[in-house]
Amino acid sequence: MEKVLLKNIDNPDSATIKAYEAAGGYQSLKKALDLEPKKIIEEVKSSGLRGRGGAGFPTGMKWDFASRDPKFPKYLLCNADEGEPGTFKDRPILEKNPHLLIEGMIISAYALQAERGYIYLRGEYPHARDVLEKAIAEAYERGYLGENILGKGFRFDLSVHQGAGAYICGEETALIESIEGRRGQPRIKPPFPVNVGAWGMPTVVNNVETLANIPYIVEIGGEAYAKIGSSDCPGPKLYSISCCVEKPGVYELPMGTSLREIIYEHAGGIKGGRELKAVIPGGISTPVLTPDKIDTPMDFVSLPKIGSMLGSGAIMVFDDTVCLVRVCWRAMRFFEHESCGKCTPCREGTGWMRNILERIENGFGREGDIELLQDVALSISGKTFCPLGDGAANVVLSFIRNFPDEFEYHIKNKKCSAGEE
Amino acid sequence: MLKVTINGIEIELEKPVTVLEAAKQAGIKIPTLCHFDGLPPFGGCRLCLVEVEKLPKLQTACTLMTTDGMVVRTETAQIKAARRAMLEFLLINHPLDCPYCDKAGECELQDLVAIYGPEAGRFAEGKRTHPESFDDPIIVRNMERCVLCTRCVRMCDELQGAFAITVTGRGSHSFVEPFTGGKYNCEYCGNCLTVCPVGAIMSRLHRHSYRPWYVEREVQTTCGFCGVGCTMILQMREEHIIRSIPRMGLGLNKGLLCVRGRFGYDFVESTERLSTPLINKNGQLQPVSWPEAYEYIANRLKEIKEKHGADAIGAIASGRCTNEDNYMLQRFMRFVIGTNNIDSLARLSYAPTVSYLESIFGQGITANLIPGIANSDGALVVGGDPTTINPILGLQIRAIRKNAGKVVVIGPPGGLKRFVTNALITDPYSEEMVLAAVLGRLSEEKELRGELPRLEEKIRAVKIPSQDELSDAIEVDEINAAVDTLKGMENPVVIIGPEIAMQKRSSKRLFLIAAIAYLINARLFVLSERPNLQGLMDMGCEPHMLPGGRPLEFEMFRHKMEESLGKKVPESKGMNLFEMLDAAQDGQLKALYVMGENLIQSLPNREKVESALKSLELLIVQDIYLTETSRLADVVLPASSWSEKDGTFTNLERRLQSVRAARTVSPGRADWQIIADISSQMGDSGKFSSVESVWEEIIHISPLHAGLSYEDIAKGNALWPYHGEPLRGVEGEFDVEGIDSLPEKRDKEAFYIQLQRPLYHSGSTSRHSRALLSIMGEPLVMINPSSAERLSLKDGDKVVVSSDIHRAEAKIKLSEDVRAGEVALCNTFSGLNFMQFVDYEVSPVLGCIVITKNNVNIEKVT
Repeated sequence: MEKVLLKNIDNPDSATIKAYEAAGGYQSLKKALDLEPKKIIEEVKSSGLRGRGGAGFPTGMKWDFASRDPKFPKYLLCNADEGEPGTFKDRPILEKNPHLLIEGMIISAYALQAERGYIYLRGEYPHARDVLEKAIAEAYERGYLGENILGKGFRFDLSVHQGAGAYICGEETALIESIEGRRGQPRIKPPFPVNVGAWGMPTVVNNVETLANIPYIVEIGGEAYAKIGSSDCPGPKLYSISCCVEKPGVYELPMGTSLREIIYEHAGGIKGGRELKAVIPGGISTPVLTPDKIDTPMDFVSLPKIGSMLGSGAIMVFDDTVCLVRVCWRAMRFFEHESCGKCTPCREGTGWMRNILERIENGFGREGDIELLQDVALSISGKTFCPLGDGAANVVLSFIRNFPDEFEYHIKNKKCSAGEE
Repeated sequence: MLKVTINGIEIELEKPVTVLEAAKQAGIKIPTLCHFDGLPPFGGCRLCLVEVEKLPKLQTACTLMTTDGMVVRTETAQIKAARRAMLEFLLINHPLDCPYCDKAGECELQDLVAIYGPEAGRFAEGKRTHPESFDDPIIVRNMERCVLCTRCVRMCDELQGAFAITVTGRGSHSFVEPFTGGKYNCEYCGNCLTVCPVGAIMSRLHRHSYRPWYVEREVQTTCGFCGVGCTMILQMREEHIIRSIPRMGLGLNKGLLCVRGRFGYDFVESTERLSTPLINKNGQLQPVSWPEAYEYIANRLKEIKEKHGADAIGAIASGRCTNEDNYMLQRFMRFVIGTNNIDSLARLSYAPTVSYLESIFGQGITANLIPGIANSDGALVVGGDPTTINPILGLQIRAIRKNAGKVVVIGPPGGLKRFVTNALITDPYSEEMVLAAVLGRLSEEKELRGELPRLEEKIRAVKIPSQDELSDAIEVDEINAAVDTLKGMENPVVIIGPEIAMQKRSSKRLFLIAAIAYLINARLFVLSERPNLQGLMDMGCEPHMLPGGRPLEFEMFRHKMEESLGKKVPESKGMNLFEMLDAAQDGQLKALYVMGENLIQSLPNREKVESALKSLELLIVQDIYLTETSRLADVVLPASSWSEKDGTFTNLERRLQSVRAARTVSPGRADWQIIADISSQMGDSGKFSSVESVWEEIIHISPLHAGLSYEDIAKGNALWPYHGEPLRGVEGEFDVEGIDSLPEKRDKEAFYIQLQRPLYHSGSTSRHSRALLSIMGEPLVMINPSSAERLSLKDGDKVVVSSDIHRAEAKIKLSEDVRAGEVALCNTFSGLNFMQFVDYEVSPVLGCIVITKNNVNIEKVT
């Protein structure tokens, strides 16, 4: 497949506007500004593009809702708060191909008739901030941003808002709270941001990768785009793969490529030729899979059928030397640390689960701990304010469901089975 | 109209409400913790999870809106398990220190666990720890107990508008703290205490000294600190007030209180309370029995009356006393002594301000409802900070801004600073210029409707400053912006503070405000520092007015009163406060009966007032403490304080409210009772066996209060004009000082001392409240940082403040609430207070006080 999102990134100057334009950049913007805003929304709808942040909500539909709301001004926010363990798929766009994102945002803003945009950037991406700010300055200089863009009378201002290191701010309403200068905590929904978002105004929050797809959709048209990859959720997809593979990295492949193909063909197989033991398909919050499931297509439709989720497409591969109780404990330390504290089950339950996992891992597990863990996880699952709590519960529930022996071995023998084999 | 089914019960709803609300209407209780009526929904505690058909996940009843056909279940096995799980989670980090937690017994978490919770927890690891904070004077915080419902934060932000606290940290290490950590340093309203469901934020006043179930009785009463008249519940154990708390939905304060109301009640239990009558014998106040005191007073008054006539005797009523007390005092003066010499400290500003406005607009013009302020789309605030003078009224103005209305303030905005659309901050003494300029610009925008010809005639005649003349006081753009805001208001309010009256040309400023209010068609409010200033006026404690707001000068009213009471009403107008002091100095006034006021502390030029009081042959003071004034008295009578007697107050919106005795024994006697006793000692035939019998006489003779029973008042429906007859539609004559001139310029380099009206105190009464003293325990001279810089002064520096008549050392405090060129000092403390430094004149038109000689020098003590 021809690269769309990572096109040109091997060029060391790919982040400059000169290189981007030389590779055909900003042509879609020129085309888009001659179209009716509604027409662009129609194209995105017909492209079948689904949000790449994890939930997979149809982008065109989201835009349509916001565009139908009569309130102005509208805001376009780019969610670049990529913070889930295992996820680094947006980073190459942000650092190597920033103009693709900027062009995507200008077109999206035009479609939505939004005059103000922010890129909410993960606090731990200082290099990306420098790159983005430089790219935004170039775009202003070239007349792609600011007043009267390309002489077409459309105005759009864009800036980077850097987060302060909270995972929860990747949740769109917490992101909005944070942009408004408040404590990053999710809001009650409904109302949804498309109607009542930033400063109470209609707001679209899209993931970096989602927005980066927009210029291509405008270029080739929605119908042509819809033919790429899985039919239910088409398009190119960035998969970030890490842990026990030979060539960890970000791979741009058609949506629906199987885990097997990604691991063995693109990422060079399991490190040292060892045995695959477990794989997390979409970031730490998505349920873990056993090796027999790796022929499943990696998309929004197929993974839920086998009890997991595509999430952000962040694949974490564990071979037979890895202690999964330790992985689970490490994941729970993350969730406990990142729980915002708003709702009871996530605030208190993540810490409790971490406590139990910690003692199992350290050889102090007690009989009944597995049942207790499951009970605590079930008391969290489906009862939290936002999906963060579900993610934490998923880890525990799916690890215990798929690898009960490892947990039992730990409790019984006060040590790990993985190291012994 | 929509139908929902909850637990099989079909409920019809007019409009969509939350599932929680719908369930409540159907009598179904859903447990909650973070929900609190009146606060925005939060959805954090997850206790109110319910099952909704067609929705896969459990939903929070407090956030989910009902839709037609919705089917909800609230008591399934799944829900019960979820609730139990949530409570188990909450107890993970909540210390089980109920045995010594003051909240135990009224703790919502404890109650919920008792009903729904697990019998035992399975969490075996250590709990988080966080030190208890005693940083604040009257509040103690124990954040280990916090369940992060955020009710306190939402209360502070949304209703109080103080924005003092927030959730800091993340996850289970989140704690409610002030932004800067450490001390709250806030308005200390304590409304966070009301909403805290557990023992995380609590009062220190009775810490570890009682349990909620020790409360033997609760008495609903009206706060005795300011003219708002908040409804409060006094919780009693034996004769001690254990707490004063608001109750949701009760009274015009709707569950809110300010620092004075919530914490200041302890002044009644001060060890300095007077408990026996005192008579000055050989230059010393000596304890005597009540009969001896009564006999002495009766004899001396008779003697003076016989020798010098009734008009040689005068009386001072009190805005801290009830209507019944004040009625009895004027009754005593008019019908037992036979003089109209009765006035009060309402003369300083409140009474003349209200009377002047009534002469323009008609009687009752300031009788507007405080809870209605928040529904206005705009407010103009002049002459003082409502958030300190009448705090709960101040919250209503903050609410205007929250409801997207506009607020224009002329003068330093103080506690409204976060809520102001336009603040016209001028030099001291430039308000008149600003008001005239605003009126000038506004009358270009708004037409004169012809409703009040006399007012309109004067509006046309008033001199409007030119741009040039104005430039000295304020930027013309600021005036234009404020006028643009004002002209867009549709149902505005105008809030008038006491500072408007207390300077030269007060009638001019008040007229300008009235004219602006007329043009924008606003409802008027006059701030009142005492709980019953309006009441004492309505009770006839003015030298020219009879009870019920009837002018003495009309024979018709005197006649009517004589008919109903069978007693002669003295005809000639009496002396007002200032005239009585002058007459005392001149030897014309021989006796003065002071009820519940500390004249020496409350009036300028202490020497002059002292000298006047010392010239009297007989000074009778009825008070709860030995004050600067009562020390000079010939007879001191110990009175019952607020919370020790029944009666009524009339607040600034003229609502009559019940004041009830919570303490059943008092070291003194009720003021009305003392006066009734002295009256009968002097041969009066009136029989007053109870406070009701006093009220019976009031409604018998006051046409305004006719037929108004205590039951009506207790129901909270006693709103002006009650069922009585006000003198509506009387458009009187009114004068305006210097209508065709601009005010004289003031020296810009000079410093003026102003009266600070602190939130934490109330006159000299609150210096007997240990709680309030713990927040503000000493007088501080407030100065603007820019002025301080000019004088090379730092916060806390010692300075000498000197005026023409007084010189004293003081500590300074920098404050943005004071304008440049101004220093402010409160009048609470005995050693150092505002009134010592200044002198006064009497306003020729309003008859209110005009503070003079307030030009001061500030020198650093080196």
